Amino acid sequence: MKINDNCVGCGQCASFCKKGAIEVKGRARVTDACVECGICIPYCPVKAIEVPA
Amino acid sequence: MKTIVIGAGLGGLLSAARLSKAGHEVEVFERLPITGGRFTNLSYKGFQLSSGAFHMIPHGPGGPLAMLLREIGADVDIVRSEKTSIRVPLEKGKPDYTEGFKDISFNEFPSLLSYKDRMKIALLTVSTRKNRPSGSTLQAWIKAQVNDEWLIKFADSFCGWALSLKSGEVQVEEIFEIIENLYRFGGTGVPIGGCKGVIDALEEVIFENGGKIHTGKEVSKILIDNGKAAGVIVENKKYEADILISNLGHVATALLCAEALSREEDAAYLKMLETLKPSAGIKICLAADEPLVGHDGVLLTPYTRRINGVNEVTQADPKLAPPGKHLTMSHQYVAPENVKNLESEIEMGLADLKEIFPGKKYEVLLIQSYHDEWPVNRAASGTDPGNKTPFSGLYVVGDGAKGKGGIEVEGVALGVSEVMGKILS
Repeated sequence: MKINDNCVGCGQCASFCKKGAIEVKGRARVTDACVECGICIPYCPVKAIEVPA
Repeated sequence: MKTIVIGAGLGGLLSAARLSKAGHEVEVFERLPITGGRFTNLSYKGFQLSSGAFHMIPHGPGGPLAMLLREIGADVDIVRSEKTSIRVPLEKGKPDYTEGFKDISFNEFPSLLSYKDRMKIALLTVSTRKNRPSGSTLQAWIKAQVNDEWLIKFADSFCGWALSLKSGEVQVEEIFEIIENLYRFGGTGVPIGGCKGVIDALEEVIFENGGKIHTGKEVSKILIDNGKAAGVIVENKKYEADILISNLGHVATALLCAEALSREEDAAYLKMLETLKPSAGIKICLAADEPLVGHDGVLLTPYTRRINGVNEVTQADPKLAPPGKHLTMSHQYVAPENVKNLESEIEMGLADLKEIFPGKKYEVLLIQSYHDEWPVNRAASGTDPGNKTPFSGLYVVGDGAKGKGGIEVEGVALGVSEVMGKILS
């Protein structure tokens, strides 16, 4: 997953990630544990999560 | 009467519940897969964290939100906090907590002043209830009355915790309305089940009255017909309504009906939208085996770099954490110029927590920041532009349209009550 500049760091995505693959400190960062399942995408309130092209 | 609510945050669901109870046919459209906006629970490592608010209701079971919930018939148990305390250095004049501290109760704040200033505060407590100060910021007003640095620190921590603003950014009128509300309604409370306890109760009322809530459905346009709200477009489908209530704040609402806002009489409204500034803040969620705060109210922390205050909601509802654990959350104001430096703001917050809780063991669960499009408040407290829009039948509710003197969700409830008064009268 790719996090764009809309991210405010609210951490909502981290709570829905089944792999514990999102770290948050001012903004979200996806770790190597990400399996690109995309579950987090719709939960982002500011449309900051994108599927990498 | 058909009412469509855009956004299932607290303001949207309060409106939907009240109107469905009054017999309106109500439909709510929410873009996210979950309801509650910045006022619901997020499950994380067995803890019930929150999507925004601190699982706390500023005026507890006696305030505007609690009253509106009762009027709606939403079954929420709100536990009144036993106290609000303030952590101060052991010795007056010390800049921080590193050489020891003590906790005093909120009402004891004058005890740190000189005898003369204590008398002055006692007199002001009486005189300001009749003659409310006005025309300056809170900070400027305090400095003109009592020149003591402690009072400014105290005011900053209170404004930071309650409004995510500094005392120099809040109009003194707004604070005196809040003080009046503290007399009227009392202090904080914790809803059992956290924020989601409130959201669940509202949804129950909506469903009981035949209302519908659609999640994962984004409104792409607000339809205006002849200056009047007519309906919305969702996924290319038109839904007609007599009344539209937007929970998105004034700016996002205006963007959904931008074409209709091109009339000459809309210029002033559009200009006002440019002045709206959201407030920013950081929440640090801590897990601990032993209590860190030790009571179910707020602990204000004026002698830190950044943290304004902390609460420990598991003191009121232990189920918000796994058995034997505590959930403690800190809030810190973020100045507009520091929104771009969130990482260093967070570092200062983390350093503050070590000084507030020296020698205590805790784990940082999650750090959450709020600004711009997903802020603490869409309109900084005291600058809310009301609930009306240039179109009849289109209202805005939520933290972008709070009522006067209403802290956070109390302001949301006051705004919703205002709109309900207009619609149901």
